[in-house]
Amino acid sequence: MKPSYQDLLHRNGRIFTIIGLVILLGIPIMISIISGVPPQYSAMFGAIITLSILYLPGGIVELTTYSPVLGTSATYLAFITGNLANLKIPCVLNARQLAKTEIGTEENEVVSTLAVAFSSITTIVIMALGVLLLAQLQPVLTNPVLRPAFDWVVPALFGALGYQYFIKNPKIIIVPLVFILLISALMPSFVQGNLSILIIVSAVVSVAWAKLLHTKKMI
Amino acid sequence: MLLNVSEIKESWWLYVMGLGVALFIISGSLYFVISAVKKSKELHMPKEVIKRTIISSISFSILPSIGIFIGVITMAGLLGIPLPWIRLSVIGALHYELMAASIAAEGITLMTLTTQNFVTIAFVMTISILWGPIFTLLFFKKYQQKVINKAATGTSGGFGKILFDAFFIGLILAFFGDAFSKIFQFNIRLVVDGAYVLDELGKPIVDNIPTFVPVIVFFSALFASLVFDLLIKKFQLKWLENFQLAFSMIIGMAVAVFLGMGGIV
Repeated sequence: MKPSYQDLLHRNGRIFTIIGLVILLGIPIMISIISGVPPQYSAMFGAIITLSILYLPGGIVELTTYSPVLGTSATYLAFITGNLANLKIPCVLNARQLAKTEIGTEENEVVSTLAVAFSSITTIVIMALGVLLLAQLQPVLTNPVLRPAFDWVVPALFGALGYQYFIKNPKIIIVPLVFILLISALMPSFVQGNLSILIIVSAVVSVAWAKLLHTKKMI
Repeated sequence: MLLNVSEIKESWWLYVMGLGVALFIISGSLYFVISAVKKSKELHMPKEVIKRTIISSISFSILPSIGIFIGVITMAGLLGIPLPWIRLSVIGALHYELMAASIAAEGITLMTLTTQNFVTIAFVMTISILWGPIFTLLFFKKYQQKVINKAATGTSGGFGKILFDAFFIGLILAFFGDAFSKIFQFNIRLVVDGAYVLDELGKPIVDNIPTFVPVIVFFSALFASLVFDLLIKKFQLKWLENFQLAFSMIIGMAVAVFLGMGGIV
């Protein structure tokens, strides 16, 4: 039986992920081999366990939360290139708004793949240029006057994106906004330390409220 | 002869590895682009949609990418340029990498860094963040077939589209919450030469500096987006749509700079 389009995307995505994992793991191994120095095993395993306790749940949450937004190819690409919440997801949301595609359609798959691919290429090119021109760029980028701009690039990004979604769905915002204001005021350190959990909780509150409005035919 | 850590962290071969990672990401991305463009032709999608998607994605990604590159500069003091370049080009983030370095080699500073510390840090940074790609490899296909496809097509009475819009609103509000919470508390760990600064007890030195700036920046960008939207509609500036988000972000970021110049941080 001929594999479906989605099956083909999964096959290609998995090949890309496996190659990516091999390259990523190959780097510390190569550093160790070339320098002739092994890692300090006890410190390494201890640190990996500690960090994995912190980041393993995040891996599950990110996959379950972001993959519906990203679509098939873009999920594989984004989970190797990283910067999901602060770059790839907003980039896809923006592209989807402009192209007016519906999630779950093949057109949306095309748009989200192009968005994540070109976003990844842009990041890689800027990073490479930055490394190449470091001496010239460092004084500008670390200038104390400009620093706040890059300290707060994420709120700027979500403010700009938020308008497009808020304006079209004013009724859906009310309850999740009140919830977010309360939890952020009462538990600021939890919010800042557990953003991936907050995203899930906020999304659940928002979807539940939207469902209620829809059931009551208010949206 | 064993190399010392200063030679390793700025070695030519580590730059070559960075270049290899960059080429892998670019070639992988281009492969997905070619497949997507082929599919768009099969679906008879207008070329204009493809062009707009590409232009808006590039323009949108420039500023956050510069922000990511500043992370390389922050980490370079301790680890040199190529390793942070590699790490921040793929899955990872500045706060994660700093934490990984501090846990892998406790109390490390530029003066005490050894080759073995450097190698250990490289292993820890790489391995501990791989859970996302590993889960994607193992479970994504099943999850998509059993959950996502059904949610996208199986929701009754037209709730499917509302569901995803509500989901995105939840996501955006979570980031607003992160900005809003900083009005009440904002702990910053002190970083010098790419490593956390520790107190006498070996704990990172933390400053609590509550700030209104991220909320002001959020609303400035939101308001700028509204103004651009009005301009686009009133003057039929179709081209501006591709840059609406990028320009709104620039305005939000410019407000942060002006506030900073006025002593508000």
